[in-house]
Amino acid sequence: MKTTKTIFQDGNHKWVAIVRDPARPNHLIDTNEYLVTHGGKGLLLDPGGAEIFPAVFSALATEFDPSALAGIFASHQDPDICSSLALWLEFNPQMQCHVSWLWASFLPHFGGTTSTFVQIPDEGMNISLEGLMLQAVPAHYLHSSGNFNLYDKIARILFSGDIGAALLPASESGLFVDDFDRHIRHAEAFHRRWMGSNEAKRRWCERVSQMEIDLLCPQHGAIYQGADVQRFINWFDEMQVGIVNA
Amino acid sequence: MTTEQIPQSGIDLLRIVRINEEIKRVVGVSFKINIMALNAIFLAKRAGTAARGFGVLSNEFRTFSQDLRSGMAALTGMVYGCVREVSLSLQDLRLTRLLREANQLAPQAALSAILSRREQQDISHAENLRRLRRQLRLALDDAFQMVELGGVLAKSAKIEAAYGQAFAVPLAQVSGEFDQIVEEIRASLVSLRRSAFFAGN
Repeated sequence: MKTTKTIFQDGNHKWVAIVRDPARPNHLIDTNEYLVTHGGKGLLLDPGGAEIFPAVFSALATEFDPSALAGIFASHQDPDICSSLALWLEFNPQMQCHVSWLWASFLPHFGGTTSTFVQIPDEGMNISLEGLMLQAVPAHYLHSSGNFNLYDKIARILFSGDIGAALLPASESGLFVDDFDRHIRHAEAFHRRWMGSNEAKRRWCERVSQMEIDLLCPQHGAIYQGADVQRFINWFDEMQVGIVNA
Repeated sequence: MTTEQIPQSGIDLLRIVRINEEIKRVVGVSFKINIMALNAIFLAKRAGTAARGFGVLSNEFRTFSQDLRSGMAALTGMVYGCVREVSLSLQDLRLTRLLREANQLAPQAALSAILSRREQQDISHAENLRRLRRQLRLALDDAFQMVELGGVLAKSAKIEAAYGQAFAVPLAQVSGEFDQIVEEIRASLVSLRRSAFFAGN
């Protein structure tokens, strides 16, 4: 089973990271899921693949009533992001899934109907969770062509999807980055190969540099906090991406 | 359904695919019969009154070819239905397994309710598959009877060819080909009937 860790709390406004399943089979990439709760309702960010649904569901249930989940935010369309959609919808058929308009007719292959999907336009949109305004921030081509981050201005947390992701060895399973230089080595190859556009990357770096971010939470690897957030943005800004030697 | 049945659905799917391949073979052969029957009609016309009976039988062969194709189209529809049921079953088995695992890790009344509903759905899939399997078997029996008729037509054509006077040899050759091709179809249908898919419930 995965473990949960509250990374922000202010009254009933909470961010919970659902991470690190010791029972996960090695052939499945490790993923982080995040739960944002406010006013008794929850939004699950990148709920993960179908095969890890039992681990995510059971961990989430220890923190929060799963029937109070109002929706899902899918940063993009990959199977490790939301192939568990049908299972979550089985539990709560009214649940809505916020995703780029680009993928709204692709994701129903995982599950859901027309009424399930809330299409996010390219420029982004606000998503309300019981009055808490969360901002879908464009991050297109990083790596998916229809890609969004989710920003919580109150908590000063940016859920960055695959940006900032690191494929960590088993020996480095800490939830937070504690040594940036050592950590970033595990992120380099991932970013160089998965991210497709230098121009998109530059725009993203400019955009998020203007935001107040205490925690930058990727879907794989460890969370950047404090000064490491800007350190990561600078590192990413300087990297040449979209290159493969083939 | 239990997890032990997962491989059975996969095996069923493989068997259905093989049935479909055999049906495609029969359809291909029935097209061949149609062309052969057309040639036979022209030959009978050239042979004149001596081959009138052969001409009538050749027309019957054309009808046989069309009926066979319609029969095979109906079989293909049923095969599609079977593929659909087995695929849904496979998909549901996976989802049920994952929901069951979640319920074991974090028991929830709502999850238990979903699982009981899913068990009912599984029963319904199994019943649908049983029904389709029966229908497919019956449709195969019908096709078999049709081929028996084709065999009679081929034998009659052989007899009529003997009355073809100067055209007796080419007519005998054509009727021999009819016979051969009907036997080919019969062999396909026998193999279809023997499919282990029909041994299931």
